[in-house]
Amino acid sequence: MNTERRKFIKSSCNFCLMAAGGFLLSELSACSPAVKVLKVPVSGNTVTIPLNAFASGPQLIVRPSGWYYDIAVRKKEKNTYEALFLQCTHQQNQLVVDPHGYKCNLHGSQFDEDGKVVKGPAGRPLKRFNTTIGPDQLIIQLKD
Amino acid sequence: MTDSGFFCTMKYQLASVFFIFQVFTYIQTEAQAFRTGAQQLILSNEDSLHAGTNSQKTVISGYGSAFYQRNFNQEQSTLTLERAVLFVGHQFSQKISFFSELEIENAKVEGGTSNGAEISMEQAFLKFNLNPKQYLVAGLFTPRIGILNENHLPVNFNGVERPLVEQLIIPATWRELGVGFYGSMDQLPLNYSVAVLNGLNAQNFEHGNGIAGGRAEGNLATANNLAITAAVQYAWKDFKFQISGYNGGTIGLSPRGSDSLGLNSGALGTPIYLGEADLQFNRDGFSAKALGVYISYPDAGKINNRFGKNIANGMYGAYAELAYDWLHKKNAQAQFISFGRLEMLDMNASIPGKGDALYDGTEKQTHLVLGFGYLPLPNVVIKADVRLLHTGPQNPDLVINPPPNQLPYRQSNQFLNIGIGYSF
Repeated sequence: MNTERRKFIKSSCNFCLMAAGGFLLSELSACSPAVKVLKVPVSGNTVTIPLNAFASGPQLIVRPSGWYYDIAVRKKEKNTYEALFLQCTHQQNQLVVDPHGYKCNLHGSQFDEDGKVVKGPAGRPLKRFNTTIGPDQLIIQLKD
Repeated sequence: MTDSGFFCTMKYQLASVFFIFQVFTYIQTEAQAFRTGAQQLILSNEDSLHAGTNSQKTVISGYGSAFYQRNFNQEQSTLTLERAVLFVGHQFSQKISFFSELEIENAKVEGGTSNGAEISMEQAFLKFNLNPKQYLVAGLFTPRIGILNENHLPVNFNGVERPLVEQLIIPATWRELGVGFYGSMDQLPLNYSVAVLNGLNAQNFEHGNGIAGGRAEGNLATANNLAITAAVQYAWKDFKFQISGYNGGTIGLSPRGSDSLGLNSGALGTPIYLGEADLQFNRDGFSAKALGVYISYPDAGKINNRFGKNIANGMYGAYAELAYDWLHKKNAQAQFISFGRLEMLDMNASIPGKGDALYDGTEKQTHLVLGFGYLPLPNVVIKADVRLLHTGPQNPDLVINPPPNQLPYRQSNQFLNIGIGYSF
């Protein structure tokens, strides 16, 4: 009898944990500041993204195909755009997007949303790519 | 001067200018040729601004710290170059890189005597980028356990000394050999990591030093036993949460050797478990940190019995820190941060029964640290703080053959710390 009760309690607890886990995950998804990711091909030394990709928000993560680093593109005032290379300027590690900008997990460098250093050891701001606006599209020049 | 004389002079002058130009060009070319391949790959600040997506580059950087400490109970002051660390990294391609940290602690190792000094590799690993969000590392690296282990630069923590909980309970800088997988998600601000490492060596555990003595740190680690560690980080608004865990075997002996001692060997034999959770908050110049960690070592009694140790089977540590940057509102590059941190830890929170261990009250400690850090730039810091320490009473059974001039143990002590730190 005791064994049955123990089994029942155990399975009930497992069910509750699974339900709580699922609920938590969906809640986390709902409250997270998810940034849209756009995978794009590289054509010559440029990538092109449609301007309507910014309809859902001013920030976009662009992932050029075959690259190991993302580009953060932000729509700014007066219809200008800023494209930051998400490679840490300290030791070339990939950066992760956080609510205040970008962070390197390797040595702890932090950059604000404009790519300026907030915390070392990085000493230089993030590299910016030149952008030009075409008809309904933004062109990012990958080489100077 | 005749026309022919004028042209002759002009010819000589032009020839001289051409000769000087040729010599200058030659010297420049030779100077370039005398740079080794590695030297030509090292970035100057100017180069790196234009480096863009060049696939090959070598980077040299580093960090260091020095401090003065006054121990008021002992009436003793110390001054040391605590750390000088040199980073060398090389990017072979966009996909494969190498990272290393070579550390010299306390400045000088001479004639085989260390006096607390140490030369060691803190990290040396290859990194394989799988895509922009995931990568593998292989070699000697610091796994993601706690806040400090992964990011331990002096400009990135408050206080001259690293938090005591992350020295004595989480033995940072804790590096081992192994393979790690790191990643972050697109849909959520969530980072994760999992790693397989060499295990700890129970024969080297020491009373009063937590599990630090069991680390191999890349030096002939026993690989019959292994460890698994994993961490998850989640960023939400101004908060960042992390949980991490570690489960590792502590017996690296062969099955025959461990059987003869009655200890379980194998990958995760005679295991140690570590669980940690922390949160960080940052907004408008205010920052807060809180961390809790617990270590469980169920077979500590057997280890004490077989190897003549006095190790606990439960240890805990926790701290909370509040800080404010008084220059935040000026939007300046400089920061002046005042902070307070309360730390509590017990390296023998539970001990094996049946006379297999002796309780040591001095391992139950409370530290209150109050101080400031001034960063004129993000990579340079000047720090000062006072640390108030209170411990439990000393166990007289653990005091063996005390020197005749030994002072009675005092449960409270104060330390004054002044230090500098840099990273680049």
